[in-house]
Amino acid sequence: MAIRAVSHDERSAFGLLAGLVAVLMAVTAFPILYSLWISLFAVNLRRPLRMPFVGLDNYIAVLSSPAFWESAGRTALFSAMAVAAVLVIATLVAVLLDQEFPGRRVLSACLLIPWAIPSVANGLMWKWIYDANYGALNGLLLQLGFINSAMIWLGDANRTLPLIANAFIWKEVPLAAILLLVTLKSIPSDLYAAAAVDGAPAFRRFVAITLPALRPGFLLVALYEAMMAIRHFDLFFLLTEGGPGGASDVVAWRIYVETFRNLSFGTGAAMSYILALATLLMSYALIRSMAEKL
Amino acid sequence: MARIRFQSVTKRYANGATAVAGLDLDIADQEFLVLLGPSGCGKSTTLNMIAGLEEISEGVLLFDDQIVNNVPAHKRDVAMVFQSYALYPHMTVFENIAFGLRMRRVGEADLRMRVMQAADKLEITHLLERRPSQLSGGQRQRVALGRAMVREPAVFLMDEPLSNLDASLRISMRAQIRHLHTQMRSTFVYVTHDQAEALTLADRIVVMKDGTIQQIGTPDEIYESPTNVFVASFLGSPTINLLEGALERENGAACFKRGTLTIPLPALQGGARNIVLGLRPEDVGTPGDGPQLHGVVDTAMPSGADQFLGVLVDDAMLFLRVGKDVRVRAGEAISFGLNPERLHVFDRETGRSLRGAA
Amino acid sequence: MIVPRPIGPRVVRAAILAAASVLLLAYVLAPVAWLLSSSLQTEREIVSIPPHWIPDHPTAQNFRAIFATGLGLAQPSPNGADPASGGFIPSVAGNLLPAMGNSFIVATAVVILNLLIGVPAAYAIAKIRFRGRGVALYAILATRVIPDIALVVPFFLVVRKLGLLDNLASLIITYLAITVPFSVFVLASFFEQMPDDLDRAARVDGCSRLQVLLRVFLPLARPALVAISLFAFLASWNEFLLALMFTQTAASQTLPIIVAGITSDFTVSFSFLNAAGVLAVLPPVALAVIFERYIVSGLTAGAVKG
Repeated sequence: MAIRAVSHDERSAFGLLAGLVAVLMAVTAFPILYSLWISLFAVNLRRPLRMPFVGLDNYIAVLSSPAFWESAGRTALFSAMAVAAVLVIATLVAVLLDQEFPGRRVLSACLLIPWAIPSVANGLMWKWIYDANYGALNGLLLQLGFINSAMIWLGDANRTLPLIANAFIWKEVPLAAILLLVTLKSIPSDLYAAAAVDGAPAFRRFVAITLPALRPGFLLVALYEAMMAIRHFDLFFLLTEGGPGGASDVVAWRIYVETFRNLSFGTGAAMSYILALATLLMSYALIRSMAEKL
Repeated sequence: MARIRFQSVTKRYANGATAVAGLDLDIADQEFLVLLGPSGCGKSTTLNMIAGLEEISEGVLLFDDQIVNNVPAHKRDVAMVFQSYALYPHMTVFENIAFGLRMRRVGEADLRMRVMQAADKLEITHLLERRPSQLSGGQRQRVALGRAMVREPAVFLMDEPLSNLDASLRISMRAQIRHLHTQMRSTFVYVTHDQAEALTLADRIVVMKDGTIQQIGTPDEIYESPTNVFVASFLGSPTINLLEGALERENGAACFKRGTLTIPLPALQGGARNIVLGLRPEDVGTPGDGPQLHGVVDTAMPSGADQFLGVLVDDAMLFLRVGKDVRVRAGEAISFGLNPERLHVFDRETGRSLRGAA
Repeated sequence: MIVPRPIGPRVVRAAILAAASVLLLAYVLAPVAWLLSSSLQTEREIVSIPPHWIPDHPTAQNFRAIFATGLGLAQPSPNGADPASGGFIPSVAGNLLPAMGNSFIVATAVVILNLLIGVPAAYAIAKIRFRGRGVALYAILATRVIPDIALVVPFFLVVRKLGLLDNLASLIITYLAITVPFSVFVLASFFEQMPDDLDRAARVDGCSRLQVLLRVFLPLARPALVAISLFAFLASWNEFLLALMFTQTAASQTLPIIVAGITSDFTVSFSFLNAAGVLAVLPPVALAVIFERYIVSGLTAGAVKG
């Protein structure tokens, strides 16, 4: 009696997985390989008939361009601001929602609103809030007397990135808070009881028990938010289009411009690849560094 | 009806672990066979292979004369009761019991009748409209039995079905399962780690360890003539006393030597070697003509019908069962009579029994 | 979890909690409230300084205009009309309802495909031991590391070659890339929590793998199914980047694209802009608030394993 190469179970499994495999092949594996292929050619839709093989020239061109490194620096700065702020705010929110108090359920339902809002609406909303003439930010600060005259917010190169980051943070805090809340809930309550019996005040308990226990949650949130921030495009398109004067020209925006405005698909693909690899390396480094501290 | 045969069946998992190795087993039609062993011994894997829930890596599994290696679970005429009961939470008790029949396209009238009959037998008729979450452990157990029963399968499999019940319920369910077997005329294969359950229920017991069969036999054979130290110590409560020592020959007669202790073992063949002597707690009597055991009582624990004594013999602590009438206290000397016929002798290296051919 | 607090009076705790709650609520709701308030103001009121936080004379004229033009009951105002005159209807107003329809079609199709593809795959991964199971799991995880922007170039070229530019099908297919892996992930972790014995019992009872899935696991998986349907719907409804690349005319443009167009259109009044924003925000927010429980448990399931 020979053993069949593919068992009955495996046949059922492959049948059930067929759809997923097809999807992963068609809309993930294939595009990734195709874009690797494209990145090795000088593809320009302005000259559709000529498509010379250029090897790694696209990569060399991108990596040796100072403008690309400036964009990379902005992406890094934007991501660092966003991740740090999301972590801090989400921790506070999670600790608040970890308490029992009337109205907690309503609060956590409302918390989902920013998460659910389309990024386009988020961009529109903040663009209107930041509006230099009639925006709510100017209105509020003037009413409260913090400023004497209307400011140009997004138009100020020094303020652009933090303001875009703010809009990004507002939308990302809910998910991060939910993830951290899950981690908080998994802390055994007798740990707190023991510390309370030992006479540790609330703040000491927070530092000694809560923060260390949150580490895996921090890792997860930092990883996820960093990936989201690095690839973020929508707000840059909606709020500033890379401006003013390139102040919000991040890598994701640059890929868009290179591909769809300059129609240089080869360099666009090369840049995408560099971004994807950087994301991968960043994830790996983050996991390593956080895992060591666990 | 089905005779089940394993012919050198091996089950290896993807990670390389071997759950069952070279299994040969012939289960007669309508037999009540119990697979007994500690967790991880391969007994559940064996059961799952019969059910078709685990694939066979090597060898052949036959139902009667048909090879079923590649027959999937849902096409085998097999019903199974799980330790966790595995009732469908979203269905009523009635639907749980009827589910297997529905899958086999049994007509509605017939189906109703069979479910009602089973429910009646198990005394769960009043629960039919409830959901599993509204039942007690014992009730769930009955529903699980009912679900398997209505199928009237050729093979009835049970994987530790009583392990989650409390002690008193477990005893009464044993009788019910035995009764079920006589009524159903199916082949029963029952997995347990509880030796008492195995001894009460089985026509034959298969003792397994590390994926291999240690011994196959009737409960009496397994209990009275264990083929190795593992089987001897796995059955019996309290466990058998094992004394390491040497087999020596004095004037041609074999005897067991350990320190000051000498016990003649007349029927034993073979030369001098290191052996293990097995003495079941109940196999001691009042001192008589035969060999004797002298020791000092360490502890005395009455246990209802009789009492257990911890007795220090030489440097070994023996656990013995005696009648309540034996009045002793800790520190007192005590003597027992031994029946050499009832002593178990094992080779210390191999663990195998040195009794007869076994 | 209840934190025992033997020290510190309850009143202080209650006050801190109340203050923190109000602060959080303000942080979350204020921008949205301002969006809503702005959408209900007239063009004259919305340019007042300081801003009218609550409109003096709330008006639904923007929404009326959107619905009237969308349903063909009214025409946009002619070129050169003064937006501040009142009753002004920008030319893009009529695109909003059709775009909403497009968004709805795309999102619904993506949800259905997610269920059809994701449910069987998740069951196989959770309950069947097969060669390549580890690879499948890693492949699914790996998709989450790939930035969507890296897929844009190859997607665009393929979609163009297939002649699917400006066609809703291009969105439906490519959105599978960003939704299916997550759906499989959430569902698989849900199925994994269900006892293996349930699967085994059903198979012994006569179910093929597919029947086990349909008759036992699906009825029990309702919360997870609701969760992944919502995720797929919201992700598709909200998606911007791919829609921006693949759609060119109102025939296929989804709501985010039309709204983005309005955002950068200086001829559109601020209040109308905000009304368009409200339109885009309302459906996903309503879904999220109504199904909060399912979403939170789904996100949690997806995260614990991720």
